[in-house]
Amino acid sequence: MTSEREAKTGAAEALLRAYQAQERRFVERRFPLQFEPEVPAIRELYSQAKVLRWNPETDIAWDRLDVGEYAPETREAARLTWSRRAWGAYPGLAESTALLVRLCLESGAVGMDAKLFLSFRPAEEAKHLETCYMLAERLGGYVPDPGDANVRDATNHPFAQAALDPDMPAEAFVAALGALDDQLDLNLVASHVQHAQSEVVRQALRLIAADKQRHVMFAWTFLGARLPRLGADGRNAVLAAVQNVLECVILAGYRNAWLLPLASREAWVQAEAETAKGGLGASTAAQEERVLRATVAQVRERLAAWDIALPSASHPELGTL
Amino acid sequence: MAEIRSGEAEMLTTDETSRHYVTEARYPLPLTPAMHEVWELWQRSKTLEWDPQTDIPWHELRPERYTPEQILAARMYWSRRTWGEYGAISESPALLLRFCLENRQPDLRFFFTMRTMEEGRHAEASWLMAERLGGYFAQPQNPPTAGAVGTHGVRRMAFDPDTSLEGVFASLVCAAEEILIDVFRATVDRATNPTVRRMMELILRDEVRHIAFGWQCLDAWAPSFTPATIRNIERAVATMIENVEFRGYRNLWLAVEGGDATPAEIDADRISCEAGLGGSTPEDEMRVFPDFLKKIRKRMAPWGVAIPLFDHPRLGRV
Repeated sequence: MTSEREAKTGAAEALLRAYQAQERRFVERRFPLQFEPEVPAIRELYSQAKVLRWNPETDIAWDRLDVGEYAPETREAARLTWSRRAWGAYPGLAESTALLVRLCLESGAVGMDAKLFLSFRPAEEAKHLETCYMLAERLGGYVPDPGDANVRDATNHPFAQAALDPDMPAEAFVAALGALDDQLDLNLVASHVQHAQSEVVRQALRLIAADKQRHVMFAWTFLGARLPRLGADGRNAVLAAVQNVLECVILAGYRNAWLLPLASREAWVQAEAETAKGGLGASTAAQEERVLRATVAQVRERLAAWDIALPSASHPELGTL
Repeated sequence: MAEIRSGEAEMLTTDETSRHYVTEARYPLPLTPAMHEVWELWQRSKTLEWDPQTDIPWHELRPERYTPEQILAARMYWSRRTWGEYGAISESPALLLRFCLENRQPDLRFFFTMRTMEEGRHAEASWLMAERLGGYFAQPQNPPTAGAVGTHGVRRMAFDPDTSLEGVFASLVCAAEEILIDVFRATVDRATNPTVRRMMELILRDEVRHIAFGWQCLDAWAPSFTPATIRNIERAVATMIENVEFRGYRNLWLAVEGGDATPAEIDADRISCEAGLGGSTPEDEMRVFPDFLKKIRKRMAPWGVAIPLFDHPRLGRV
């Protein structure tokens, strides 16, 4: 126990020093500090975020969720599924915050629309996290630890540090995490909504999806405003980041239990299947595979509009994507 | 971002080199509320969201009722407030990154996301006020003043392993934000302009939660303070007073070496306040600042924290 705590403390200090080193590599020029809209579409997304606010505690009809009507094995499966969703929502708190800090470090003169938008986003991610937690709790209890090293690794990536990396263009980070991963996440949530039968779960998923639509729209709009001005090195970095996240993060099971390492996936895949069968907010592996293939095709087509050619990715079970 | 087992991760780059990142020790990831009062602040903040564009009676601003001197002062005051609020979206969010990597209680992480959102709102509101009074100023009149009004250094502190989290809390939340709000409280009644007054009330309502958050956390952690933690808090608070407040970050009249700011900038708070457009007078500062220091000194004393006396050319020994 003590050694585990010491290891955690050591990792925390190492990461803090890494953040510190990254922050020092930026030379912040705060003034002139411009607030005028420069990308009206992003300012509009910020305005929508202010208007479309919601509260997981009060805007979801929790009293209508009768968990007693589900079999114990369905409840157990759903609490695992929603716990895993919480682990997937949690990184958004730090990622969006790190990107906000990074854009501020880069310049006070540009990017206020994105900064204002990102000042809201961590709270929206926190609301999604709270919703997943509340669902897991009501279905039998949130599980705070995957209890399996493979699942821990697949769901824990240093994205916040990547956001603060001055060697990685902000466009590359937004393309990989916003245009690809957020897009996949949104499309998966849309699939879960289609297949959910519980009125309360559908309501929760719809509220989350509405926020995620803005997050995805932000990524594409941000890229639309910046990619055309990006030089060859920057565009290569965008391509490398997207390719890397696709091959090493998404295809390693970051969002989809059926892509987890073979030795670790069974319990999670079964839980997803049982949750889907019970209508409690999941899709089957086959449904998720269709979403993944469609998303990769969609992202590839959109990036091609900026002459960024995302190559095929291969996976031992999926073949070529 | 492709992970390797050692706990480091690499990301391929275009030139085929790799960079190493450090992966946080994330699990177990508890989400059950652990600090009831802070959890309540998170819940409350979700019910009290507002929109600067629609929840402030802008039609009652009517800047044409004021003299050019008053309008210029108010524009300067609200522009500087915008710069200050921007610090809360460019610097203090670094604290959330620290909460995450140090696996601090979930309540802290949840609440701080809302705090960043609220500070973004305050920045937008302050900018809108300057704009609608005639125009926002994007920078100080003399470039060197940027050093005084540009940063409170919280991001550096938050990323500094040698500055305890308790020290950052005490200096940012219990010192910098506390004095800001004490002055706001003391002057809100003199904001006779209904638009300005409503905005000040809404900002005040949010900031009261931010300060409550800081004190609640420190009160809860106080029993575990070591002598080093206490020294860290004392040092951090003194730095915030001497190197930030006394350099004019919040009010240029307080700047010990105010040579860079123009007379118009130094006088802006007073003129704006006397016009009922927000701000504070030197008399307010003379009264509120010593009281604020007495208050935090008394509040921190039970933790074993001794805040020293400070010498200031206008305030005297406070």
